[in-house]
Amino acid sequence: MSGDRSTEGLTRRTENSSRELLARAFFFGCAALSVVTTLSIVVLLVYEAAKFFTVTAPLVGVAGETATITEFLTGAEWGLQGPNLGVAPLVAVTVMVTLGSGLIAIPLGVATALYLSEYASPRARSYLKPALEVLAGVPSIIYGIFAVAYITPALSTFFPEIGFFNVASACVVVGIMILPMVASVSEDAMSAVPDDLRQAGYGMGATKYDVSVGVVVPAALSGIISSFILALSRAIGETMAVTLAGGSLAREFDPASIGSYLSLFDPESYLEPGMTMTAAMIQLLTGDITGGGLAYRSLFAVGLVLFIITLVMNILSDAIARRYKEAYE
Amino acid sequence: MATDTASEFGEVSRRVGIAFRYLLLASTLVGIVTLGFLLLYVFNDAIQPLSADPGWHLTFLLTLVLPGLATGWWCLQRGYATFTTGLVGFFLPVLASLYSGAIAALFIDVIPTLVWLAFVVAFAVPVGVFAVLQRPTVDLPFLANVALVGGSAIGSLLVLPGLIQGLPTVPSGWVVLLMTLGLPAGLLLARNLGGRWGQREGRIAGIAAFLAAGAAGPLGTATGFGAIPAVVLTLFAGVPTALYVAIVVKERPEERHGLLLPAVLIGGSLLGAALVSAVGFAGPESWVDWSFLTSTVQSGDARSVGIYPGIVGTVLLMFIVAAVSFPVGVGAAVYLEEYAPNNTFTRIVDVNISNLAGVPSVVYGLLGLGLFVRYGGARSGTLLVAGATLALLILPIIIISTREAIRSVPDSMRQASYGMGATRWQTVRNVVLPRAFPGILTGTILALSRAIGETAPLLVIGAAQVFGVPDSWSSTIGAMPLQLYVWASTYASPEFYTTVLAAGIVVLLTAMLTMNSIAIFVRNKYQQR
Repeated sequence: MSGDRSTEGLTRRTENSSRELLARAFFFGCAALSVVTTLSIVVLLVYEAAKFFTVTAPLVGVAGETATITEFLTGAEWGLQGPNLGVAPLVAVTVMVTLGSGLIAIPLGVATALYLSEYASPRARSYLKPALEVLAGVPSIIYGIFAVAYITPALSTFFPEIGFFNVASACVVVGIMILPMVASVSEDAMSAVPDDLRQAGYGMGATKYDVSVGVVVPAALSGIISSFILALSRAIGETMAVTLAGGSLAREFDPASIGSYLSLFDPESYLEPGMTMTAAMIQLLTGDITGGGLAYRSLFAVGLVLFIITLVMNILSDAIARRYKEAYE
Repeated sequence: MATDTASEFGEVSRRVGIAFRYLLLASTLVGIVTLGFLLLYVFNDAIQPLSADPGWHLTFLLTLVLPGLATGWWCLQRGYATFTTGLVGFFLPVLASLYSGAIAALFIDVIPTLVWLAFVVAFAVPVGVFAVLQRPTVDLPFLANVALVGGSAIGSLLVLPGLIQGLPTVPSGWVVLLMTLGLPAGLLLARNLGGRWGQREGRIAGIAAFLAAGAAGPLGTATGFGAIPAVVLTLFAGVPTALYVAIVVKERPEERHGLLLPAVLIGGSLLGAALVSAVGFAGPESWVDWSFLTSTVQSGDARSVGIYPGIVGTVLLMFIVAAVSFPVGVGAAVYLEEYAPNNTFTRIVDVNISNLAGVPSVVYGLLGLGLFVRYGGARSGTLLVAGATLALLILPIIIISTREAIRSVPDSMRQASYGMGATRWQTVRNVVLPRAFPGILTGTILALSRAIGETAPLLVIGAAQVFGVPDSWSSTIGAMPLQLYVWASTYASPEFYTTVLAAGIVVLLTAMLTMNSIAIFVRNKYQQR
């Protein structure tokens, strides 16, 4: 009897036993859930945003208030009283925050990466890298409070006309938040540069400075650029810090006039409050709007714009990083 | 002449190199130093150490700081291992007390102990059935096992909670906790220590732990501390600390001198507190005080507001997030690393996960709002909706870190397991997961510590702006970061920013830093092996 059972146990097909199939099905379901999540995000955003636009609303069978796509893309004002549904003013402030934070994070991040990969001793690295991780780990709401409570007062000693809410302080804290991302992705790219290239540089009589700036940075350039894009996409999606620091007052921005584009680069305009796309979403939600009116739908339209921008940037950064990988293999 | 030019060239390029090097170092430090200053300001605003009497500082310098430093230095002289033993011996009781305070708050305010008892009993039934079926003498087909366990689970969950809550006489709260938490803890101790030190020692330890928890109940009532907090504190802080001390003394006697460090630190702070109150030195006028931690008041008056509802909300939220995202995240990672064939679907999942990690958190909030509230029919802002939304948010992070942990398991171990005739599931369960577990745990804790600070998704799904302590699993909740946002936006006076908000930041950062340090401790402990 026992002999029969052990023979059976040794020869049975285990790969398709119900226990194996159950485990496999569970694991597969978990992995499939991540695809379902993405699909739900896309379907939900597109479907709800479709209800918002006049052109697409009949397609999804919705009657009621809608806005035209031209209004949404070219309107110079944002505000839910009346027909002011232009997304451009929000995008403009988002661009300002992205530019300003990039101005801080990109030079500092690249310098940090260069120091960590070329100059720092292993001991210094082991202290500096976790310290940089902490910068990225502090929640963004805390950065927002820092901006209002400490950064703005500090800035007002240099710029007395600065507002209580202002874009500049948002740029500073977002810059600090995305700095570790620039540093760590760039450093990975720099560390991946083969040592042969450095040795060749030294063999030609180059100094460490020459090798760092003349060999390592150009060789890792695609990785460095991909780190910029990734970090800037984080800055675009950043919500709580810019909501608290920038305030919730939409600016005017006319996409048709050249002057308004120049104002993006005007330092004065950074001292005034401004509302980004993400801050507008938070402002919309602080009212009770689950009912499904125009405000609720505009939320999803703005969310869709945000999602598309960040997704494109992520894919772009990935594609650039992939290209450089092929170079040395 | 020629040598002169060469040395000049050398000078110039060296000067540039040195300047460049220090420029790079300075840029590296800018961000870190800025954050350091900001944190310094916040801690100064929240705790106001300078408002204390000089005598207060002097007392603690003499009783706590100097003896602590001296003992720490002495431990370091005896070896680094001794020093870390001392540090763990200090942080373990401190952190465990913090966390058991949060757990006790749950039992007092959110979960009635009777409901807890009902569900523990209802869950115990299928677990018991499962244990019986695992015995080698019982040999049923696998599907029959599944049906029996599943059937008993559904049956007992449907019948037992109602039955138990309808009982005519009910035990008091701390007795329920003693039975549902103390008894399993004692059994677990007896079993694990029995294997390590011998049957008899294990049993003594288990019974001692149970008796200590049992004694804590009446003692807590008698001293006015409260029976439930006393039992929870004993079980979650006292027992682990005693266990740690026992393990160090018994298994690593060469490091036992390290235990002097926690003794000096804890004894020194108690002595200092006693002296200060005896002499009458005023302490700092800290904003992080007992009333701030336990008050439920939400108003514009900075002195009366409290963060208690936020703490309870965050603790509940973390339970839900961990319960949902851990199994699903680990499952997905196991599929991708161990099962997935090299086909298009796998590649899609692969790309998809890295892109999901880059989606802004506010978009996850929209997903939760649409999926659960608008089309799922859930009430907006409830605990379950918030937990599910945050779980989706940290899922990609858990998957990515778990995949890394699984990848670090050497392939030779898998091959050995297959060579012994193990199936794929057996290999995953007995070889891959145990070996990768520390890495998985570290990644999960780090992901949770990110979820703790997330505010935007909670705002989007409509978590309450003004909230009290949640009293059931389906009530609308808030969380610590949300509370900070409400304070910052509703009561946005400059005065609020440097008082209550600073105190709130300190509490939130403390919660995060303790989680991060636990994660780092787990990682370091297992990396050495």
